Amino acid sequence: MKYFIFFSTLIFFMQFNQIKSEDDVKGQTLYVHVNGLVCDFCARSIEKMFSKKESVSSVDLSLEKMLITINFKEGKNLNDEKIIQIIQDSGYEVTEILRVK
Amino acid sequence: MTKKLISLIFLFFIFYQFDTNSRPISYPGGWTFMQNNDYKRHSVHIHYTPSIKYSFGYRGEYWKMKEWQFHGAQLNYLLNRSNKPKSQSNLYIKSGIGAFYSSYKDHQNKGEPGCFSGLSFDWEDRRYFTSYENRVNLSKTIDRSFIQKARIGIAPYIGDYGDLHSWLMLQVEHTPQAYNKVIYTPMIRMFKGDFLAEAGISNHGQYLLNLILRF
Repeated sequence: MKYFIFFSTLIFFMQFNQIKSEDDVKGQTLYVHVNGLVCDFCARSIEKMFSKKESVSSVDLSLEKMLITINFKEGKNLNDEKIIQIIQDSGYEVTEILRVK
Repeated sequence: MTKKLISLIFLFFIFYQFDTNSRPISYPGGWTFMQNNDYKRHSVHIHYTPSIKYSFGYRGEYWKMKEWQFHGAQLNYLLNRSNKPKSQSNLYIKSGIGAFYSSYKDHQNKGEPGCFSGLSFDWEDRRYFTSYENRVNLSKTIDRSFIQKARIGIAPYIGDYGDLHSWLMLQVEHTPQAYNKVIYTPMIRMFKGDFLAEAGISNHGQYLLNLILRF
């Protein structure tokens, strides 16, 4: 019985961590370097796309550095695949993603 | 013959820079309102963007010289986008189908189906802008015309995200069928946030005023 409880608990935490890893990747701020970020009017799409995400608290862009800074709500995040997809849907190309925990 | 034609098309794309009055495709789920006014035409275009590859919507136009209108659906399709470390370029095809109406001369309240299509290319970095676009109008009797325009622009200062951005531009428009075949329009483009405006006066003293709002 105790083995059953032990393994059930283990499986529960493994599943919990797996779900968490999809959207709740550790890290509060994300720095994304992109190509093509030259026009403010066009780059609005990035802010609008990320603003739709519940896990995002704010987005800041630097045309000078070709950099997108994404701040997440407490305990929330997005994985790299989702970040790349959102930026591609906005019309840009990701060159580098840096996470700051 | 085919090689010669391909070479000519290639050279055409290389030496002419196609324009868009700012991207005709927004972000997935986004709506855009565009209103253009110049010496030849008043137009409104409202489009919805389902994907980064295309947008579609309503276009209404009134062409002053032959006093005809167009009302119909327009599709904007992104053929190619090139994102570079310091620049971006886009190539679109913009096509519309709908109805032409005219009361000009013999066309007493005449309506007929018609279409238009054209290519649009732009390249820009944070300092320079260049573009080209063309368009063919086709209807049975009301209008059959070709028009093309090119722009070059320079930003007098480099703003960052969220600033008020300004561009000084020169637009050159060529209409082979018109009395004044080439029109030059010095203009200023300004934008901040989701609002963009362009204003200019042509070498014939005619105004240009374009507005774009994204939401």
